[in-house]
Amino acid sequence: MTRGALQYLQVPLSSFTASLTPSATVSKHCPKCKRAWRRPFSSTRSCDMTKLRAEMFNWLNSRGKNFLDPVQGKTNYLTDYDKRGFRRNKEPDAAGEQADSTEREKGTRDLPRRPFPLNEWFISQPILSEELREEIWRRVQIDKKSIRNVSVELGVEMRRVGAVVRLQELEKQWRAENKPLALPYAEAIHSMVPSTPLKNPPVPHETVNDLPVHSMTLPQLFYPTSESRQFNRVDAGRIFSGAPRLPDEADVTQGGQSVEPWKDTSIEIVGKPGHERPVLKAADARIPHPHLIAHEKDKLDPELDALERHERYHARLREEMEQRAGKKEARRKQIEKHTTRVDTGRYEFLIKDCQTTRLGTGLDGRGTASPGRRYGVPSQDRKRGAIKIPTKVEV
Amino acid sequence: MRNRARIPLSKAKVRQSWSKYNLYNLARITTPPYKTRTVFQQKWSAKSILRAYHSEQVREGMWERMFSRRLRSVVPMNPEYLARNDGSLESAGRGSGLESSFAKRRPKAIPYMQMTFAPLERRLDTAIFRALFASSARQARQFVVHGAVKVNGKKMKYPGYLLNPGDMFQVDPERVMFATGAPKGLSDLSSPDDRAVSRSEDKEGAASLEDQSEESSQDEDEDAEEGEEKEEDPREVLKSLLAQAKSVISNPKGGKLNAKQKQNLRGFAKEVKRQLSRRDSTTSKSHDLEAQFEELKAKLLRKPNLPSSQAEDSSSSPNKEEDGEKKEESTTTLSTSPPQLNTAKGKDYDDDSMLDPEDLTALRAALARLHLNPIDPTKPYATPWTPRPYMSAFAFIPPFLEVNQNICAAVYLRHPVARPGMAEVPTPFAQVTGGDAFAWYLRRR
Repeated sequence: MTRGALQYLQVPLSSFTASLTPSATVSKHCPKCKRAWRRPFSSTRSCDMTKLRAEMFNWLNSRGKNFLDPVQGKTNYLTDYDKRGFRRNKEPDAAGEQADSTEREKGTRDLPRRPFPLNEWFISQPILSEELREEIWRRVQIDKKSIRNVSVELGVEMRRVGAVVRLQELEKQWRAENKPLALPYAEAIHSMVPSTPLKNPPVPHETVNDLPVHSMTLPQLFYPTSESRQFNRVDAGRIFSGAPRLPDEADVTQGGQSVEPWKDTSIEIVGKPGHERPVLKAADARIPHPHLIAHEKDKLDPELDALERHERYHARLREEMEQRAGKKEARRKQIEKHTTRVDTGRYEFLIKDCQTTRLGTGLDGRGTASPGRRYGVPSQDRKRGAIKIPTKVEV
Repeated sequence: MRNRARIPLSKAKVRQSWSKYNLYNLARITTPPYKTRTVFQQKWSAKSILRAYHSEQVREGMWERMFSRRLRSVVPMNPEYLARNDGSLESAGRGSGLESSFAKRRPKAIPYMQMTFAPLERRLDTAIFRALFASSARQARQFVVHGAVKVNGKKMKYPGYLLNPGDMFQVDPERVMFATGAPKGLSDLSSPDDRAVSRSEDKEGAASLEDQSEESSQDEDEDAEEGEEKEEDPREVLKSLLAQAKSVISNPKGGKLNAKQKQNLRGFAKEVKRQLSRRDSTTSKSHDLEAQFEELKAKLLRKPNLPSSQAEDSSSSPNKEEDGEKKEESTTTLSTSPPQLNTAKGKDYDDDSMLDPEDLTALRAALARLHLNPIDPTKPYATPWTPRPYMSAFAFIPPFLEVNQNICAAVYLRHPVARPGMAEVPTPFAQVTGGDAFAWYLRRR
């Protein structure tokens, strides 16, 4: 480096220091007192501000300025700017104005909405817009559509649909009671965070058919099978759980008489006593919307027209709902059968019958299948480190 | 509990916080080097920086009990594909070569190692921070301890409560506004021209703020003076009011106002208040937006020096007016009194030509804005409410929460999962670091 350049760095102009990132200057001199940073063993007083602090404020006053205020209708993450502090060109719009899926896919790889520069796997996913929330609430509460149906129609997970209805109900209650709401806050959040708009046809908010990865399927298995017989997902589930293959007469794919995999809700237990485990179902039965598989099969059938398909789809939903209601009722009746109610006016006591037998407590008396105290086993709240905070709050 | 959540600059630690120190650290951190260090060193530093971010408020023993080596993940399924193929295509072992379609739709990797700290996302304080109800996990913790948080409608005072799927938590909206709003007393002087305007505004602004704090005595005097002085020309008032209204609604919706706009907003608020509290008012003061708008419209469209309304002003006693002032002082968006529609509505304005509908909508929008985001010096945050500095760089809501910002309530839908190409646990570090930390807690050192 030439001597001239060094001299220039040693005597920085104040305007230059204030304007942009003269990191070279900051590294040698305190921008406040224009003297060299304090050195060890030096008695010369430099400045109160440390070098690190000066560097921070230098960053905050230059590139960091971008983050001081939100950018209207767009995200404002660290990754939205390049190294020089300029906004990158092709970023997705926060209002959900996304291009077609391929472009979005490409964008996810290059410049998605990533709040953390180092973590390429965390993406700021869109939230539901106010209109979409209201629409979900309307379809469920006014049109009396089932949550399952609304979830498929709008591309929103079923649990989310339920939560939205619950929250919207609460909001309406608050509005009716004239309780103060955080409206400016809500408006600001919706302008900062990407959101899914309400459109016709609806833009899917998220994937609705997520299959949880079961821990039984994690180990790799080597399973030799015959070529003369097709090996399908039902078989795979049975192999993973150590169950024998279905006999041909019970296998639909071999022409046997049985329910289709997507409809199969029966529970089959295998294993020796003490090591029983349920047989893993095929993915068809374990996804949240198995009825969609039947609907897709209908679409492949050339004999069915659109109207028929539509009717069959809704018939399936109705049937599923009735089944579910029936099961719920049966469970309630079962519980009621074993409960005695004693109403004292102030409290209603629910008394359940239970038995403590060797089957429940085990031979050593320490088993947990039966209620009650176990001899020699300290109760949970006396153990070291166990915290006595509630584990659930009843609604 | 001692707050160990300092954000030192010498060791770039990232915290769950929206402070500018944290933002600076977040911008400059790098993945710790691995080539020059032993495996133990790598794991140690990885777990230390990850713990500093995710759970500095949780003791090591507590976290070790919470740690689970089972990492949740999901794979999105396509029902159309499931309908066409029962799985025998894959098991046949054919068609998985490079040129087949199978190779093309090879799914992305599932980033399991970013899920190491997933169990901590169940904690109530962390969930409040993730739902953007608090500006740091520490503040969220304080909200819980101070009793401002409800879970399923019941007060919950334990920050370590582990939310179950389907639990709803609510935070007091006032606290949320305080936590996420710009701090009071600091004028945000982001740009030089703002600074210039605000300097000139200082005297005026201070005066107007004072006005609002001790309104009842001052305003009464002013009103009295005015009443004696002369009747203002409504046209003039209308013109200035409209100009201010247009400035008020011109600003970006969620964004920050600059100093000039703030000045205008304050002026508009003051003018509206003055117009509504004039002696010749025939109705009591109402807080309802519609009623206020109607009243204002009626006043402005009235012809100058109409005797009909003058006659009534003696009927309104000063006591009554004082009450009204006090009520108005605690300006909230929603009123407790029912809207009282103006009796003067029908009789007074026959002069609609003065206002074109555009002006009227502008006026109404500005009034609505004033109602939505009022100027209120009694609040512990700067009013009108604006997001706090550097908030937008941290603003995201993970998909396992469903948040309703209006009532500051959220539902914990499910546990966070990893899916192809994406992990739902917000962590600022790379997957290598997560993997090292995971290996540390597997206790195979």
